[in-house]
Amino acid sequence: MEGQLSSLVITKEDIETIDELFSQYLVDSQAKDIILLNKSGELLAKSGAVTRESAVAVSALAAGVFSATNELAKLLGEHEFTLTFHQGKETNIHISLVDPMILLAVIFDNKAPIGAIRFWAKKISGSIKPVFEKMAAGPRQEASQDLKKGLQDEIDNLF
Amino acid sequence: MSLIDFSKSEITFKVVYYGPAMSGKTTNLSWIFRTIPEKVKGQFTSIATETERTLFFDFLPVELGTIKGFKIRLSLYTVPGQELYKLTRKSVLKSVDGIVFVADSNRDRREDNIKNLADMFKNLEDYELPDTPIIYQLNKRDTPAIMSVSELVEDLHLEGKTVYLGMASSGVSVMDCLKGITREVVSKI
Repeated sequence: MEGQLSSLVITKEDIETIDELFSQYLVDSQAKDIILLNKSGELLAKSGAVTRESAVAVSALAAGVFSATNELAKLLGEHEFTLTFHQGKETNIHISLVDPMILLAVIFDNKAPIGAIRFWAKKISGSIKPVFEKMAAGPRQEASQDLKKGLQDEIDNLF
Repeated sequence: MSLIDFSKSEITFKVVYYGPAMSGKTTNLSWIFRTIPEKVKGQFTSIATETERTLFFDFLPVELGTIKGFKIRLSLYTVPGQELYKLTRKSVLKSVDGIVFVADSNRDRREDNIKNLADMFKNLEDYELPDTPIIYQLNKRDTPAIMSVSELVEDLHLEGKTVYLGMASSGVSVMDCLKGITREVVSKI
């Protein structure tokens, strides 16, 4: 059984902290792009040249790949695989688990050796983990009553 | 699991089109893609085999508009309906906020509908998501040899549930289903 929260709430401060860390790591690691997503495939944050439109699609596919890989893990008697890596001619992508619901995708060009990719993915993951631990510990996992009421009242305006 | 992002003032919901093979899930998404304005839709990503059947999933992000200062975004997915891809279907359903179950009205697909619906409920149970909003589209009403609506309702235990009669290839009820499930997921937040 795999329990899930009804909503993941991200504040402006959380994103600012993550953006700052990503900008620094983008320089230090020489990664092309860093993308943070949740297991349902939603883009949470991105850094690098990747457009938002592409990052949204990458997030959906990365979460799909990760999820499918974990069904494979279960078939092989593993609880889950914590990372998956795809190597191309020009580009590599490393997808790893940051916390039970969050994934990190780091995209490198072919100059980066695999050891360096793994090192940086682990380092970035370790740095942003506290942000999500703080998030999980805080009383912010639900939308405010005011927001909920507003959404329900105005829902017909969407169409 | 909806995502509420205060930094961008956005709320994103994951909606999955579920149903047996060839029932018209991808057709629903293609219609939405063709119908909605350019500026509110993202990239349509489809992982299909050479015969154009969905292998992994189709994915279409759409932006519906703003309420209470929050942009409402939907991530629309389909699952592969074929029996073979049972585990892929389960993996796409992870953290889902709402489901459109697309049933095939053709009489010879009766068993497939029943099996696929049971498979969906089993997956929701495994993910501990028993209260996920679901709406039902009885599709392919324009084909010969279809079952009556009451037969389908009885087969799939849809008494009292939200049911739409669809002809997705010509767009009938496609946008109504999208609106219906959006209302359900937003009101669940």
